[in-house]
Amino acid sequence: MKKIANFLNGLTIIKVLIYLFFFLFLLLPLFSVFLVSFTDEPVNLLGALTDPAIFNSTMEKLKNMSLDNYQAIFSNKGYFEGLKNSLWLGLMVTVIVTTICIPLAYGIARTTMPFKKTISALCIIPLIIPTFISAYAFIIMFGRTGWVTQIYHSLGGEGMFIDPYSMTGIVMVQVFFFFPYALWPLVAAFKVSDVTLEEASLNLGAKNWFTFLFVTFPLAIPGVISSFLLIFTVSFSDFGTPIILAPKNLNLLVVEAYREIAGFYNWGGAAILTVMMVLVAAFFFWLQHLFTKGKNYGSVSGKPKKQKLNDNKLLTRSLSLYSLLIVMVPLLALISIGLQSFATTWGKDALPSGYTLKHYQTVFTTSMGNIQNSIILALGALILSVIIATFVSYFVVRQNSSKLDFLTSVPLVVPGIAFGIALIQTFNTAPLHLTGTALLLILAYTIRRLPYMVRSTMGTMRAIKQDIEEAAINLGATPLTAAITIIGPLMLPGIAAGSLLVFITVIKETSISILIAPAEWAPMSLAIFQNIIRGEYYTAAAMSILLVGVVLILQAIANRMSRNKA
Amino acid sequence: MGSVKINNLTKEFNDVKALKDINLDIQEGEFFALLGPSGCGKTTTMRCIAGFENPTMGEILIGDKKVKDIPANKRNCGMVFQSYALFPHFNVFENVAYSLNIKELNNSNVFSKLGIYARLLNRKFGKPPKHIEEKVMEILDYVELTPYVNRLTSELSGGQQQRVALARALVMEPAVLLMDEPLSNLDQKLRHSMRNTIRRIQQDLGITTIFVTHDQEEAMSMADRVAVMDHGEVIQIGTPTDIYSHPKSSFIANFVGTSNVLKGKVIKRDTNETTVQGNGFTLRSIANPKKEEVDMIIRPEHIQVFLMDTDVSNEFNNTMNGKILVSTYLGSIVRYDIQVNDYTLVADATYSSGANILKEGTPVKLVIDSERVLLI
Repeated sequence: MKKIANFLNGLTIIKVLIYLFFFLFLLLPLFSVFLVSFTDEPVNLLGALTDPAIFNSTMEKLKNMSLDNYQAIFSNKGYFEGLKNSLWLGLMVTVIVTTICIPLAYGIARTTMPFKKTISALCIIPLIIPTFISAYAFIIMFGRTGWVTQIYHSLGGEGMFIDPYSMTGIVMVQVFFFFPYALWPLVAAFKVSDVTLEEASLNLGAKNWFTFLFVTFPLAIPGVISSFLLIFTVSFSDFGTPIILAPKNLNLLVVEAYREIAGFYNWGGAAILTVMMVLVAAFFFWLQHLFTKGKNYGSVSGKPKKQKLNDNKLLTRSLSLYSLLIVMVPLLALISIGLQSFATTWGKDALPSGYTLKHYQTVFTTSMGNIQNSIILALGALILSVIIATFVSYFVVRQNSSKLDFLTSVPLVVPGIAFGIALIQTFNTAPLHLTGTALLLILAYTIRRLPYMVRSTMGTMRAIKQDIEEAAINLGATPLTAAITIIGPLMLPGIAAGSLLVFITVIKETSISILIAPAEWAPMSLAIFQNIIRGEYYTAAAMSILLVGVVLILQAIANRMSRNKA
Repeated sequence: MGSVKINNLTKEFNDVKALKDINLDIQEGEFFALLGPSGCGKTTTMRCIAGFENPTMGEILIGDKKVKDIPANKRNCGMVFQSYALFPHFNVFENVAYSLNIKELNNSNVFSKLGIYARLLNRKFGKPPKHIEEKVMEILDYVELTPYVNRLTSELSGGQQQRVALARALVMEPAVLLMDEPLSNLDQKLRHSMRNTIRRIQQDLGITTIFVTHDQEEAMSMADRVAVMDHGEVIQIGTPTDIYSHPKSSFIANFVGTSNVLKGKVIKRDTNETTVQGNGFTLRSIANPKKEEVDMIIRPEHIQVFLMDTDVSNEFNNTMNGKILVSTYLGSIVRYDIQVNDYTLVADATYSSGANILKEGTPVKLVIDSERVLLI
């Protein structure tokens, strides 16, 4: 009797519901898609549980499981090429990003280089632009009629300076728009490496460059490796850049998977590609975890170590120039989109032939629905993730629920396009027919962005001492009432910061939107994408500027809020 | 209704026994202290009473009712936490009113429940009813916090926070008041005045109070009875004077006040007196121990210090010769560390102004009344 009473207490019910949520919308789709990679036909596990007929047909399919698809990785030239190219892309982007970031990070962390603040601020730009818009900006710059190409021609060049529709183009976009992911961990690594060791080296008579190469840099190596692996996973999973820029003859896993599902409804093919993507991403994520385990770079100790900043004029000036050149590229990309959004026509010369507000007018008359959709969907995902993240952090921090902790980090590993395919496959028939509904879209956004939310709420949860909660219970509150009236309000700052992050990332989200948003619920990102595909560049540009504007405003609010709290 | 009975309470954490067979019988209206060094199990005992820990074995009765199946939020034990655990987003009034609001919440229908939640989440959504306000103001007046009613708790001094915590626990009219090291975060001076405040309130309300502390002075000065704990066991229960003058072990003798503990062997038993031989001295005591190997326990204030040539012959007294090692002036007393053979004894002499403090190296005669030598 007591057991039942215990079981029915409010918090336990919520815990069960959260497990059910993860099981239904995360584990089940991933597992189903894994099965499909063997059966080559869609399986409906939920249906099999409710309907005997579906159960029998599912059993039939499972009996016919084969490794054909796995053999196809090697026999089907497309798949193998795709895997090879995706890995190669990730590797190149990683190497280039790390190489260009090391001097930049050193400059920011350890020198008095001029324009440091401006450079740091400009590093935000790549993070607020969705990659498919960055890719499109590169077309405006480097395409056949792009202004860089025009300048290149006027200088006597022929053809294109860089062909954006190529592997090189994709690598360029990813390098210039993913480098901040590696930059800040590197800056942190440079900041915490032990200065006394460097001083010892100088004291022993070593030259500055010698000290950097053999003392400072090796100390930062764990940080370098960790950001190396992070960039690889980000680049490998990125969908926005390749879908815009990959030429027909360039196979990449993400594009291939999208084509299999959106073009041919080839479930088996999409499933095997999904499995490959998840495995590769998970492997690199695991490697990164291995390297960062037990090493806390951002850790703040009571006594801040005063670091001597390098103020060698020649060094700082050249570092500053170099850094400005790098951060200038994303800025120019943004400016290009801005110019295009105001241009009557642009392509004959390096600058637009005239300026107009017509495109914004078009956007506001025809695409208000998309803006509205984006906001409604993002709000839906936000509310759902606030509720789930709050309780998850409660269970993880207070009840040491390591299983939930693990579950919420699973979405980090699954590339968006892979997760989208898994969801479509699982929910496109009864009993839970969600494909094509806004609900599935919201669920997908929520799960994908939940890790960020949970990280934010878990931090504040850890800061709330256990005895505050015990005091509430001691005063007569049930654990649920204590959670609502005491813990909830105290977690508000963390929830607010996390919510903004979720809202921003959902508005930016590309792969999920493109893959599963139904026409009547098309968010801004999907509308922009379709405009680009249809060649309506000017409208796309205007809408991109609106999207970036919304993100920028929200980001500013988030920054202000976190500054006020700190 | 407010008595607390603990029978054979045992608590294990992952095979580590935190509490071993605790038995306590606390009377209604009693001020009871759990005293012991950190890690002795006193806080665990209290947390078992409050319902934050489930006992591995044994039972707890509050007012003759077994509480095993009563969850922590229904036990009606007001608790004052060591850190006070005040709700930082509530002001003083809201902190104190919390338990009354919760009671209201539990006794209302779904619709008014929502209203109460709303006003607990934001004070703009309404005020608590009159009877709650009156009760809160009454208790705040009682602990002299009326001027601070709208302050956030972070804007209060340590002593004021302490009183908010006390008021918050008292307002729910608990069957038992539990206090976990409530004074440990206060400075010396405040601690003294809070001791008096707590004792006065406890006497006024006649509320059964269990007080956890590691400070023997606190326990001795406030409690009606004290249970001394060590390594998860209750070693002695008694009134403060009882424990001070008749400690059951040398651990208690040292933990409760300062003691000289000397090892010795019984060499002669008379009707009224036992003679014990130590290393290089013999002492007579009126105690009659069962054991042969004993600890002799002598409080510093029971050792009288005289100059060597003083005549102190008295048949009931023990005398020893020694030499002053260190003399420490402590205001009303002078504490001497005195070398006697291989031992260093501590003796306290009352000091009145103008008297001489004996210099280091002075040979002295020590006199100890045989009534004052405890044998354990």
